[in-house]
Amino acid sequence: MTQLTPVLSAHWDEKDSFTIAGYKRHGGYDAAAKALKMEPDAVIQLVKDSGLRGRGGAGFPTGMKWGFIPQGDNKDHYLVVNADESEPGTCKDMPLLLANPHVLIEGCIIASYAIRAKYAFIYIRGEVTHVVRRVQQAIDDAYAAGHLGKNIFGSGVDLELVLHVGAGAYICGEETALLDSLEGFRGQPRLRPPFPAIAGLYARPTVVNNVESIASVPAIIAHGAEWFSSMGTEKSKGMTLYSLSGHVTNPGQFEAPLGITLRELLEISGGVRAGHQLKFWTPGGSSTPIFTSAHLDTPLDYEGVSAAGSMLGTKALQIFDETTCIVRAVLRWTEFYKHESCGKCTPCREGTWWLVQILRDLESGKGSEADLEKLLDLCDNIMGRSFCALGDGATSPITSSINYFREEYIAHLTHGGCPLDPHAATVFASAKAGV
Amino acid sequence: MADLHNHDIEPTRPDLGLEAVSSAPVVNDGPAPMGKQLLGFWVTFRAMFKKPNTVQYPEVKEPTAERFHGRHQLNRHPDGLEKCIGCELCAWACPADAIYVEGAANTPENTMSPGERYGKVYQINYLRCVFCGLCIEACPTRALTMTNEYELADNSRESLIFEKQDLLAPLRAGMLMPPHPMYPEMNDTNYYKGDVPHAHPSQEVKND
Amino acid sequence: MSNEVVDMITVVIDGFEVSVPKGTLVIRAAEKLGIQIPRFCDHPLLDPVGACRQCLVDIEINGRAFPKPQASCTIPVEPGMIVKTQLTSAVAKKAQEGVMEMLLINHPLDCPVCDKGGECPLQNQAMSNGQSDSRFEGTKRTFEKPIHISSQVLLDRERCVLCARCTRFSEQIASDPFITLNERGALQQVGIYEKQPFESYFSGNTVQICPVGALTGASYRFRARPFDLVSTPSACEHCASGCSLRTDVRRGKTLRRLAGDDAEVNEEWNCDKGRWAFKYVTAADRLTHPMVRNASGELQEASWPEAIAAAAAGLQKTSAAVLVGGRASVEDAYGYSKFARVTLGTNNIDFRSRISTAEERDFIASTVVRAKTTYRDIDRADSVLLVGFEPEEESPIVFLRIHKQVRKRALKVTAIASKLSIGNEKLSANFVCVAPGSEATALPSVALTAQSVILVGERACESAGLLSAIAALAEKTGAKLAWIPRRAGERGAIAAGAIGNLLPGGRPVADASARVDVAAAWGVTSIPSSLGLSSDEIIAAVNKGTIGALVVGGVDPLDGENHHEMLEALQKAFVVSLEIRPSAVTTLADVVLPVAAVTEKSGSFLDWEGRSRNFEAAVVDSLQRSDVRLLSMIADEMSKPISLSTVKAASKEFASLGNWDGAPSALSLTSVQTVSALQANEALLTSWRRLLDEGSLQQGEENLAGTARKPVVVISPKRAASIGVTDGEAVRVSNSHGAIVLPVLVEAIHDDAVWLPRNSRGSHLLATFGVASGAVVTVVKD
Repeated sequence: MTQLTPVLSAHWDEKDSFTIAGYKRHGGYDAAAKALKMEPDAVIQLVKDSGLRGRGGAGFPTGMKWGFIPQGDNKDHYLVVNADESEPGTCKDMPLLLANPHVLIEGCIIASYAIRAKYAFIYIRGEVTHVVRRVQQAIDDAYAAGHLGKNIFGSGVDLELVLHVGAGAYICGEETALLDSLEGFRGQPRLRPPFPAIAGLYARPTVVNNVESIASVPAIIAHGAEWFSSMGTEKSKGMTLYSLSGHVTNPGQFEAPLGITLRELLEISGGVRAGHQLKFWTPGGSSTPIFTSAHLDTPLDYEGVSAAGSMLGTKALQIFDETTCIVRAVLRWTEFYKHESCGKCTPCREGTWWLVQILRDLESGKGSEADLEKLLDLCDNIMGRSFCALGDGATSPITSSINYFREEYIAHLTHGGCPLDPHAATVFASAKAGV
Repeated sequence: MADLHNHDIEPTRPDLGLEAVSSAPVVNDGPAPMGKQLLGFWVTFRAMFKKPNTVQYPEVKEPTAERFHGRHQLNRHPDGLEKCIGCELCAWACPADAIYVEGAANTPENTMSPGERYGKVYQINYLRCVFCGLCIEACPTRALTMTNEYELADNSRESLIFEKQDLLAPLRAGMLMPPHPMYPEMNDTNYYKGDVPHAHPSQEVKND
Repeated sequence: MSNEVVDMITVVIDGFEVSVPKGTLVIRAAEKLGIQIPRFCDHPLLDPVGACRQCLVDIEINGRAFPKPQASCTIPVEPGMIVKTQLTSAVAKKAQEGVMEMLLINHPLDCPVCDKGGECPLQNQAMSNGQSDSRFEGTKRTFEKPIHISSQVLLDRERCVLCARCTRFSEQIASDPFITLNERGALQQVGIYEKQPFESYFSGNTVQICPVGALTGASYRFRARPFDLVSTPSACEHCASGCSLRTDVRRGKTLRRLAGDDAEVNEEWNCDKGRWAFKYVTAADRLTHPMVRNASGELQEASWPEAIAAAAAGLQKTSAAVLVGGRASVEDAYGYSKFARVTLGTNNIDFRSRISTAEERDFIASTVVRAKTTYRDIDRADSVLLVGFEPEEESPIVFLRIHKQVRKRALKVTAIASKLSIGNEKLSANFVCVAPGSEATALPSVALTAQSVILVGERACESAGLLSAIAALAEKTGAKLAWIPRRAGERGAIAAGAIGNLLPGGRPVADASARVDVAAAWGVTSIPSSLGLSSDEIIAAVNKGTIGALVVGGVDPLDGENHHEMLEALQKAFVVSLEIRPSAVTTLADVVLPVAAVTEKSGSFLDWEGRSRNFEAAVVDSLQRSDVRLLSMIADEMSKPISLSTVKAASKEFASLGNWDGAPSALSLTSVQTVSALQANEALLTSWRRLLDEGSLQQGEENLAGTARKPVVVISPKRAASIGVTDGEAVRVSNSHGAIVLPVLVEAIHDDAVWLPRNSRGSHLLATFGVASGAVVTVVKD
């Protein structure tokens, strides 16, 4: 049985975990001071050695990303932290920033030092006002403490950290769209190449990292690469935050080594809500193909999930029990993608518009089995044809759900609507039943 | 093809012809026997007792076949607005180049048809028209159809170029003479779906 | 270009090898093989965007295949690349059909009413690369049908496929980012800022490059179908940029003009004036019959023989001179030039029907005739100096070409002027601010090399000493010099010798061998040897009584500073006017001969580079004749034939003359005038013509006029403070002749200067003030 390994979330239960004093009580900012005494390239090497991979979804090795930044080019370099957490079901960065914003700031100091950036930006989604306030306060405190600004820790290194609040667009979580938005334009993905490492923010070499990736860095510096790589599996090292939501007894963040299984996580979190069984779940947010109870023992690391036909993504485990109508759930997700499609490319813009209309018909019992084939063919025409991954993500829940639950789709057609009681899936239903 | 025609076939043809004529035997046997001659009149006798097919046109006018291709007609929507949108597809389809159309924009003050565009100039040149009906098939709004009218003779060329006013269908019951606004709460799609029953009182516009 | 080494890369597309320069996009490499990959957002002159996803193909490089189809419009060729298009790859074919199906789900079935129908890339490619049926049974997205984004461009958002060609053009090419995409998802749409419509000088290009009928022009709306139109390659008559155009005519009427494709000159663009200002040809007041002034002094319609005879009789009686405007074709100008020398026996001919000086005439003979600067030189220049020249207003394609290099490689542009213009701001020009008339004093401060290009406008002659100083500067630095007149015919008129000091081919009148040369070619015994008079001198001579007759072609008296004298001269002299529409000249003329407009005749212009721009008659059944033909008839009548009965004959004879290979005349430095001190409320006038203004060739096109920049008086912040006005308040500018009241705009302008548009609505400087630049005017709050 894998145990939880709280590192990032170790002190979330303390009353002042978000203050600079609370952070420093447990050795906060020591790692930054230590890193600034190392050579920048040694920091990059350390992160490379630790095996830390991007926690934003794609799982790209963080140290390697830093290493792509051309050195000695006499250009400004930038670090951009992607805190535009908008994936349905994903809820790890916001609690992290709410409970411990200083770990991100410390990570920014170390990462900026490593890539020789004098400016770092945190791009945070606009809706989370309370988190924005808390992070801004933390930045102000860090400036006041001399951890940001000129000559930090007396090392001669300068770093300006800017918090930028987005206007609320899912697409701005895509790194190049985020850069456009940060520059003041509409957030739409950019053509690659050039990649951000060569021409990113203001056409300068830029590293874009997820909050959790950067926040994991101080611990690596503090405890060493070996400590970090001792956790997790062969190719997926370290601990990470798993977010359990939906029909689960104790939803929340669970920090565990990569490779833990849902069965273990459910045991820790009290299991599926009482009286019900697991029907399907997402391993990493709605953009990853869904899993069923057959995948309870799939190791939740990059390779394990991938081998089972999905993606680890943001480790947003949304749990749905048997009261949930699969068509309804997929329709809701698809409506989200239609609403959030930026409109730049045809497959995503028009495809999501169309997918929603077909799914609505299916949910209300209209249409025929041929529509399922049409839906799958349409997904085939979107998947891999769109400009960025948003279009691909929109098709994942549809193709995977038809794969596992084709009968339920057909049942809608034969039943003339949803055969399930949508009310039974709500939290009110369990309250009423006295569970 | 042209070469073949000119050099290979033409020069040989007169020779072949001459040969054929010269080799044909000339036969002259004198008059045919009486029986044979009477046999020749048999068809005539037989026809004398049949009901004549002749129609006393123009005193008598028989109806044509239902789908006879006659003079064209530009139809109207049930409220009187013109169906023609001036798209020129009929002119495009016409193999005889007999149709001339100019489109124009409908304006709030001058609405001739539902939607953005109407046919401002519409001419069919009946000296050219071959009544093939391709224009009818091309028409996307069923504005152009053919009537069974076939009396299209006249004594000047100009009068056989029919203008829009010559081709437009007459106003029927419930129709108003355009320009007038579209039926309230209806768009051009409603018109094509046949949702407009007849003119609405609000469509009556005073012409000052 | 030929000496630049280009790396070639060989790739295999659908089994065929093709070698293309490094950096070529796959889609264009395929074009070289004749393989057409369908596309919407791709445009060779715009940055790749990869938005429409219509051009997906399968690609593998050195045996490694991309896992999914790639947009061929965004990927440059690489060694070892194997491309499979829709022709050989089932995956690419299905991807393209899928994208096409999706593009069509929200596209309205407007084809029958859409102006693009019949020449629509979406229609065509849906047929060639789409499926015959759509599986879409849902609800289409709808928007309010067409909205005016300017008075001349309509936007139908339902039809838009969001390829962003228009917005990219406006931003990247024209630098007028007045339209942009807004909203998101399927509701994404092209939009304008509601307080600032799409008033770009280049907006018509977006209509032309729109791959669907989303952007349409108001003047062509519902006018015709492509199969109605007869297209003729033509050249633009509006300015000296030399755009190649396509003129589309339906039943003898020009319905539209499109930018032609000429990589050396206008690439694929033109300006809105060239695109839409052609209604003057079909104006109701168009002259159609010859007219002769009768015994009672009234103009009366006459037959052609009558009119020609009357003209010949009048010209024979007295000494005559020729005033030919700057809009004549090369062939017509050559006709006037030969007519003056051979038939009238004089060198008194001048094409400069505008403010002009003797210094300019010498500059033309010494420098312009030799200038060989081209658009390519701008492409390669290390810096560009603009003097007395506003490219965006006065030669818009030159502006686009400079802007292209500014955007591509931050080409350094320096502008010597009194006011910073919108165009120069867009070029990020280094603005050297001088008082009107003092431009020459700023020249020494500009660093130039042999790789630099100096572009000088016709307004430079309005500042005494400037042209000779520029010529000297070019000589000293080796910089390439080009003189860019505003009118399309001026460079051709110089070549044709329609000026008193030059014979055709740049031959100086003063040079005896040049005269012998021309006399021999023309079959006459001699060419008059005395230098001809300039426009102003001719007018003065008429008023003095030494010249008794004028042949005037396409001249507006209000284009010069001395229009009172000119009107007096027109009244005094026997005037033969060759015109297309009634004007101040025709009302005073004794014989009026209607002539053909550009769309009705063939001929050519020389653009500012000296490059020949040929045009054919687009309206073939026009009854109108070219000027040169009428001149030839008059010459015959006068028994001194010029034997140029057709444009072709004129063109052939002119070409056979060739260019002068002798020494050009020298240019002496003219001294710069010093400006007298100004009183408190006085300012020096500076002005130029805006691209869209009240020019006579723009009349009759209200949609175009609607996008003209609003007339304003521009003063400096210091002057604004001293007379107590702020932006938008009315200011009165006056001199002893008249006054103009317009709203004020406080901007970057020399403190001593006041700027007004030269010929815009409510601001006709020459008519009101009798001057247009350099003169002292009074500026007060109204």
